[in-house]
Amino acid sequence: MSDSSSNDSFTLTLDGAEVSARPGETLWQVARRAGETIPHLCFKDAPGYRSDGNCRACMVEIEGERVLAASCIREAAPGMVVKSAGSERAREAREGVMELLLADQPEREASPDRSSHLWAIADRLAIDAGAVRRRLPSRAEREAPTVRHVAARSAALPHADGHDATHSAMNVNLDACIECGLCVRACREVQGNDVIGLAHRGAAAKIVFDFDDPMGESTCVACGECVQACPTGALMPATLIDEAGRGDSAVADRTVDSICPYCGVGCQLTYHVKDEQILFVEGRNGPSNQGRLCVKGRFGFDYPNHPARLTRPLIRREGVPKGMDPGFDPANP
Amino acid sequence: MHDTTSPQRARRRGGARGRELAPLALTGLRALLGDERRDPQLQGRDRLIEHLHVIQDAQGHLAMAELRALASYMNLPMAAIFETATFYAHFDVVHEDQSPPPAVTVRVCDSLPCRLAGAEALHERLASGADPAAVRVLRAPCMGRCDSAPVAEVGHHHVRYATAEGVEAVVDTGHVHPETILWQRLDDYRAVGGYRLLAACRAGEVGFAALCEAFEHAGLRGLGGAGFPIFRKWQAVRAEPGPRFAVINADEGEPGTFKDRHYLEHAPHRFLEGALVGAWAVEAEALYIYLRDEYPGLHRVLTEAIVELEAEGLVPPGYIVLRRGAGAYICGEESALIESLEGKPGKPRHRPPFVAQRGLFGRPTLVNNVETVYWVPRIWEQGADWFAAQGRHGRQGLRSFSVSGRVARPGVHLAPAGITLAELLEEYCGGMAEGHRPAGYLPGGASGGILPASKADIPLDFDTLQEHGCFIGSAAIIVLSDQDDLRTVATNLLAFFADESCGQCTPCRVGTEKMLALLERDEWDVEQLERLARVMGDASICGLGQAAPNPVTSLLRDFRGELEARHLIAKG
Ligand SMILES: Cc1cc2nc3c(=O)[nH]c(=O)nc-3n(C[C@H](O)[C@H](O)[C@H](O)COP(=O)(O)O)c2cc1C
Ligand code: SF4
Ligand code: SF4
Ligand code: SF4
Ligand code: FES
Ligand code: FES
Repeated sequence: MSDSSSNDSFTLTLDGAEVSARPGETLWQVARRAGETIPHLCFKDAPGYRSDGNCRACMVEIEGERVLAASCIREAAPGMVVKSAGSERAREAREGVMELLLADQPEREASPDRSSHLWAIADRLAIDAGAVRRRLPSRAEREAPTVRHVAARSAALPHADGHDATHSAMNVNLDACIECGLCVRACREVQGNDVIGLAHRGAAAKIVFDFDDPMGESTCVACGECVQACPTGALMPATLIDEAGRGDSAVADRTVDSICPYCGVGCQLTYHVKDEQILFVEGRNGPSNQGRLCVKGRFGFDYPNHPARLTRPLIRREGVPKGMDPGFDPANP
Repeated sequence: MHDTTSPQRARRRGGARGRELAPLALTGLRALLGDERRDPQLQGRDRLIEHLHVIQDAQGHLAMAELRALASYMNLPMAAIFETATFYAHFDVVHEDQSPPPAVTVRVCDSLPCRLAGAEALHERLASGADPAAVRVLRAPCMGRCDSAPVAEVGHHHVRYATAEGVEAVVDTGHVHPETILWQRLDDYRAVGGYRLLAACRAGEVGFAALCEAFEHAGLRGLGGAGFPIFRKWQAVRAEPGPRFAVINADEGEPGTFKDRHYLEHAPHRFLEGALVGAWAVEAEALYIYLRDEYPGLHRVLTEAIVELEAEGLVPPGYIVLRRGAGAYICGEESALIESLEGKPGKPRHRPPFVAQRGLFGRPTLVNNVETVYWVPRIWEQGADWFAAQGRHGRQGLRSFSVSGRVARPGVHLAPAGITLAELLEEYCGGMAEGHRPAGYLPGGASGGILPASKADIPLDFDTLQEHGCFIGSAAIIVLSDQDDLRTVATNLLAFFADESCGQCTPCRVGTEKMLALLERDEWDVEQLERLARVMGDASICGLGQAAPNPVTSLLRDFRGELEARHLIAKG
């Protein structure tokens, strides 16, 4: 553990080169400053997100240690000798972890987000998901339940099998979930809403809302933070998902940085726009919001294209047409 | 006129979202758990699992209405309650679309020693014979009674050497309470010199330095599996700033292990004295005992023993806190155990920081195994020299081997550290069971790998098995014979790990399940298995995932011929 009384930077060795680090910095951050972005899934490099070190995609080798270490959570220490890009063991572990996860992912074309962070990492490590599936057994290959104390739930439920479209703004497809827990941290720690949990254990581990209730009937306040954090598309803005459950977060043709038009907090955000329609919104790291949004800034974006929207100023002058939408009924807006 | 300002629809939309608290549900809960408004400690997060036990015991399951009320009672989010309740195998969470379990639950142990003794057939017969409306028959992991395999549990009553008829008879008579245990009471223990070491420590007659010196000389090491010298742990925890805690690991879940049960049943006060000496050594604010839920009879014993101690003024009331596990092997891992004590799912923490630095409630914590502290008063009594002089083949001390499987006399055998399997079999176990020839053995329960019979002459101790790719762990020796099928052994062990994985990290959560599926295939893909084993061993967070591939790597290393003969791998 680093001594908090000293703020002096120190040196360690990363892939043979001497690098400097500050107390409290993780090996991932050190590598990043040295120019290497280590593959990562459960770690989100954004304000408020604690490292959880669970996916094991970011392993590095530390001299003198029996097993590999997760770079996203292991703090650098003076004199440490770390191998990342130069470690054969770390390479095998990173790829092995990705293979284990990809073996049970939906086909890329059928997945809820074919441009997800997960697929980007798979591309970076040049992993052929089809070949992985031929080598590794799928989850369905075993008939007996792997975790025995989980009782099956009714197939008639609106969120059966982890497919949940009960929320008007967000879509859940747990086929793509890798149990990285980013949504749990988003909801619990970043936003303080405490709706999402990671329930059960082992292979039965499952993202749940409240008591495994449909999202639309849960205590969710629709801040959308979990959707923004999810690296796989298991949680997606409903606007991006088609009837077959497929989607693509890179479908926008341009992005527009802006500020939320609703209240005075001034949350910074980015609109993703296609064919002059806003598709979805992402929080941007501004001083007042640090990437977070509330339901209005996140999902209240249908008004720009509403037919009743005023697009020209109304002038109080005799004879000038007021331009009010002829179909507008003030009694029933 | 104020009728149009707030339309009905909008008002409803602005109201409370999610499950509503049923009227009277809180009242019912307070009747069970006590009134949290009078005793706010009842709201402590660390009470969550105890509360869930009370509800499960009273209702036979955990219904949504009760869990919702519990969220209000404890002022915890629903998700937090649900995460904990669904993690543990002994809680039956029942949704509105599910039906509650029947009144009687029969658990049939199917870990390796019981499996070798016919647990599969027993389960089949019981399951097909039972009326599903009245009895449910479940498979369950090792119940710590492997010397009397196969074992089944009816309610909380354990049936040893179980047969279908025997278990059915117990079900019919409704004997669902734990079997009675005869134990050494406080008076009897004091009559033979019990609690003298504790008194001497407290009176300043034995100092901390002297205690450490003695146990360094004796060479007492942690007997929970890791073999860490006890005096060093005391020193490390004591060097951290207070407040500090002491925790006893009585979760004994490694298949094949039953030594802790043995000592707790025979000498609960000697164990408690050792635990209290440890707590004294690190100046702990409180002593927590985490007892696995598979030992309900011992829960009574310890509860009564603690009452005796409090009544005699040997410990302040409430100083010793006894907590029940809830059916999760991983809670034997010390940081998962601490999470569980805090009322959370038992997911191991990352190291550093170590629990000696940041453990229970974020404070420096001493975690010791039951048997480790049991030896403290005993070694003090008989002398460090005496203990240090034990041992064979250059090793030091005594080990309590839990021996099960194909031997004539299974049981806890106290033998010199460093003894070989051949010697253990001949001198302590009465040889092999009749009609069985040794084929191999597991030196450290499910986790420690498998050794072939040809290696029956290597010393069994910490540090001696690494070069053979194995470890002794909790010294649970499971002996296999020529009649045992290696695929059954491998799939049984991997099924155990996959069921018990906490699910936190990818290599273990997904890896154990994939490895199990690979082992269930007609032919084993050696390259895939070996690669997967490396990834799990290198990249899992804790010892469960790191050790889970051990049986497979062992078989692929030392049992090639048998695997070929069995057509599991290609000849080569
Ligand atoms: C997966 C796993 C399971 C464990 N189970 C137990 C157990 O049931 N009982 C135990 O005393 N230690 C168990 N341990 C070891 C504990 O983490 C810890 O090392 C031990 O309780 C320390 O006590 P000791 O030093 O007295 O041995 C387990 C470790 C792992 C990784
Ligand atoms: S949208 Fe916000 S409140 Fe709802 S589940 Fe996601 S993070 Fe939690
Ligand atoms: S839903 Fe997304 S963020 Fe949540 S655990 Fe699954 S993959 Fe991770
Ligand atoms: S190795 Fe297994 S038991 Fe340990 S933290 Fe990972 S998933 Fe949990
Ligand atoms: S990114 Fe480091 S473990 Fe997931
Ligand atoms: S009691 Fe069945 S294997 Fe231990």
